[in-house]
Amino acid sequence: MYSWHDSAASQGLLSCHECQAVWPQALEHGHCPRCGAPLHLRKPHALARTWAFLLTAALLMLPANLLPIMSIAILGAGEPSTIIGGALELARHGVWGIALIILAASLLIPAGKLVGLIMLLLTVQRGWTTNLRQKMILFRIVHWVGRWSMLDIFVVGILVALVQFGNLAYVTGLSGAIAFAGVVIFTMLAANSFDTRLIWDRHLQETDIDPQH
Amino acid sequence: MIRAELSRKIACPECDLLLDRPVVLRSQTAHCPRCGSRLFNCRHNSVERSLALALAGLILLFPANLFPILSLQILGLHQQQTIFSSAMGLYGDDLGIVALAVLLFAIVVPACKLLLLAYVSAALQFSRPWPALPLAMRYYQHLDEWAMLEVYLIAVLVAIVKLIDIATVHPGVGLYSLAGLILISTLSSTMLDRDLYWHLIDARRGEPQHV
Ligand SMILES: [Zn+2]
Repeated sequence: MYSWHDSAASQGLLSCHECQAVWPQALEHGHCPRCGAPLHLRKPHALARTWAFLLTAALLMLPANLLPIMSIAILGAGEPSTIIGGALELARHGVWGIALIILAASLLIPAGKLVGLIMLLLTVQRGWTTNLRQKMILFRIVHWVGRWSMLDIFVVGILVALVQFGNLAYVTGLSGAIAFAGVVIFTMLAANSFDTRLIWDRHLQETDIDPQH
Repeated sequence: MIRAELSRKIACPECDLLLDRPVVLRSQTAHCPRCGSRLFNCRHNSVERSLALALAGLILLFPANLFPILSLQILGLHQQQTIFSSAMGLYGDDLGIVALAVLLFAIVVPACKLLLLAYVSAALQFSRPWPALPLAMRYYQHLDEWAMLEVYLIAVLVAIVKLIDIATVHPGVGLYSLAGLILISTLSSTMLDRDLYWHLIDARRGEPQHV
């Protein structure tokens, strides 16, 4: 069992966010003598920045899923398709594996990231102190998985470059792709702005005040 | 505390637990006992291997970007595609921002990562006091998650599945080079002992510079 007093912050120390060197807190707001990065005890404005990026991503999720991201025209007859539409189309052709990968990468991952990060933010803000190790695992998954949502954007890029046969077959990228790329980038930025140490600070300070825990 | 004493300490980057720096044997990883996150990994011959892998990756960048990834044939008509042309195709459809994202995540960032890694590794391997080593290392760490070559590779596979009904798809030299490049970059990230690198960067700066 660790108490608040085991944290570097409570012993007048801080660690550089970039090279992990340990310094006295007197150096805060200066630069790390080893790597030159700005020194902060915790990532600056972590909660506000994470919320801001997260809300932007959440707003963009609507157009990202409702607007078509590309149109595939074969023999002149083309129809714009959304991400979900494209996945359903694949499923109808019996390519279930790929359809599931696309649905996971473009729908489940962004939505899961949103919910996961909101849970972590509320953990800090409401002072929830349960299952902290599980929440760290949640954060690591959210952090690692984010980049995979770019999958659909790359697919559109490849098809647009490849399928250029005039009236025979023609693929065009559409504006839904902008919103979708936005969702991916903003959720990644949100995960990067969050500081997991805040979860532990709160927990440890509270268990110290109330020793019955 | 004096600096020598501080350098024997490590704080968990994810939960701030202050620890005495654990002694870690080669190719082992130290984990935080409180939150379970990775403190650092110790890698054998990290500098030498990272340098070799970074150089191999830089060489593979050329075939992966210059040769076609896929080529498509419909009724005798022919069309090829490289990573760059998939970005340009989006640009042509008035999706400039998306094109920029593809350009950055699939070409520029992976290339910069390899360049920075080669630069820092070479300086450490040959004990050269080259300028801006800490800055280069910091940028490498920042760029890490924005390189998305493996995502691009899966996207190529998805595109093949989508096209296979309407046309003949041929994988090109670019695709094999891309697979090799991904293997090399993944290996170079796992071989990199960041803690050792920061240590060496710091130690080299303190030494008198040999001319
Ligand atoms: Zn530092």
